[in-house]
Amino acid sequence: MSKRILVVEDQPDNRQIIRDMLADTGYEIAEAENGEEALAAIAKARPDLILMDIQLPIMDGYAATRRIKTDPALKSIPIIAVTSYALSGEEKKAREAGCDDYVPKPYSPRQLLAKIRQYLS
Amino acid sequence: MIAIRNVGLFDEVQARTEELSDSLQQQTATANVLKSISRSTFDLKSVLQNLVESAGRFCDADKGTIVRERDGVFYTAETFGYSREFVDYMKSVPIAAERGSASGRALAEGRLAHIADVKADPEYTFVELPRLGDFRTALCVPMLREGIPIGVLTLTRSQVQPFTDKQIELVTTFADQASIAIENVRLFDEIQDKSRQLEEASKHKSQFLANMSHELRTPLNAILGYTELMADGAYGEPSEKMNAVLKRLESNGRHLLGLINDVLDLSKIEAGQIVLELSEYTVQDIAQTVRSTLEPLAADKKLAFKVEMTSELPPGRGDGRRLTQVLINLVGNAIKFTDAGEIAIKAEANNGSFHVSVRDTGPGISAADQAKLFQEFQQADNSITRKKGGTGLGLAISKRIIEMHGSRVWIDSTVGQGSTFSFVVPVRVERQVEAT
Repeated sequence: MSKRILVVEDQPDNRQIIRDMLADTGYEIAEAENGEEALAAIAKARPDLILMDIQLPIMDGYAATRRIKTDPALKSIPIIAVTSYALSGEEKKAREAGCDDYVPKPYSPRQLLAKIRQYLS
Repeated sequence: MIAIRNVGLFDEVQARTEELSDSLQQQTATANVLKSISRSTFDLKSVLQNLVESAGRFCDADKGTIVRERDGVFYTAETFGYSREFVDYMKSVPIAAERGSASGRALAEGRLAHIADVKADPEYTFVELPRLGDFRTALCVPMLREGIPIGVLTLTRSQVQPFTDKQIELVTTFADQASIAIENVRLFDEIQDKSRQLEEASKHKSQFLANMSHELRTPLNAILGYTELMADGAYGEPSEKMNAVLKRLESNGRHLLGLINDVLDLSKIEAGQIVLELSEYTVQDIAQTVRSTLEPLAADKKLAFKVEMTSELPPGRGDGRRLTQVLINLVGNAIKFTDAGEIAIKAEANNGSFHVSVRDTGPGISAADQAKLFQEFQQADNSITRKKGGTGLGLAISKRIIEMHGSRVWIDSTVGQGSTFSFVVPVRVERQVEAT
């Protein structure tokens, strides 16, 4: 059974990069464009890992992460925050919201993939 | 004969002495008033009250007022000596600039009005006032700002007894002090207002830069991400030629990212948003980090990379991460601009400070160019920028970081003989120095 990754990202080009990056890895990909869609997607099929953009319309990544991490049935799903906010203290905020890891944009697909493999091995 | 002359001399000496004592008294009075003004800049009301009372006391006047202006209307602000009812009445009516009243006359003419007896003055039309206020002689001195009246200092006497020239001179001094006090407070308020506006603008600027940095990073993520995926063969094995192009794409993308980060860094320092994280560090660790980061770049250019320091440097306290950033910047520059020879980091501790320097065998920098080096967007020779890259912000940022540690960074260089960049920082920094 292949592992499922939920990509929460509002920017089509950046979703495409992650699709291309994961193309030959055998992971299954689900996509959501904002926090609300993410919660709906999780309810439909539980992912094994979530890549969470932070600046999202409707419901941002912090809010979505807090919702997931306060749900006992979901809180064990690892969440990697992927954000282009460059202010210092952003990593701390992401961790406080419950994110397990933090990757600043622009990221190297190679390094992001290595991080994903760490969590899914 | 001599005796008579002596008596004459004696009288003259006595008169002089009295004159001197008067003028001393006047000076003391003025000095006291000035002192009270400088002590209570923010309590204008009590300063003015003090002024009008002192003026009255020193000039034998039993009553007095200070008239001020607000939104183009003159009103009675401070008083002394008048009955409660009369004060209430005065405060309830605005004062028009016209010759019919004493204060109004000073306002209308922009110079002092001295009315020996208001009841005998043909132009004085407010005939009820002297009776209600119980005054006959009035001296009104306008308080001027750039020649325009902003108020009047008025003294009155219940008896007909004109003021002497000396007294008039003294009241004029007091009126001048009153306008200075009012002007001081006005300027102070204006400055506070301006600094509030500046603070607001600076906050907007920082927010704008933070947003811009975010907006620029998002497309940059796609550019750098696709570039790497292509180089890694995600879309088929790239040809040699394509690989070369991808490398250029990558390095230009990184350069752009460096610019975005540096601009954000500098703006945060300027906005006072960068707070040093003070903790324990060792210079050895910093030098090791810098060496492992940059030695490969030096090796690419076949430059020797030396670290010279005694083993017994004391542990330091400061922002180790930011100091590492400074040293990386200095060593990075040295490598970038040196084509042959060596780069050396040297560190020692004396008199409670670390003295760290970065020496290179590069082309050296002329005295004229040295002066510009630490300014934003400056490199010694702008044509070098295109050849060697760099944002021109690194040294400006380094300078600010060192200054926040309460220290300085400088350069020693001679054209043709290499450059040495040095900085000193206190071994123990317990408090961040605010940027100036």
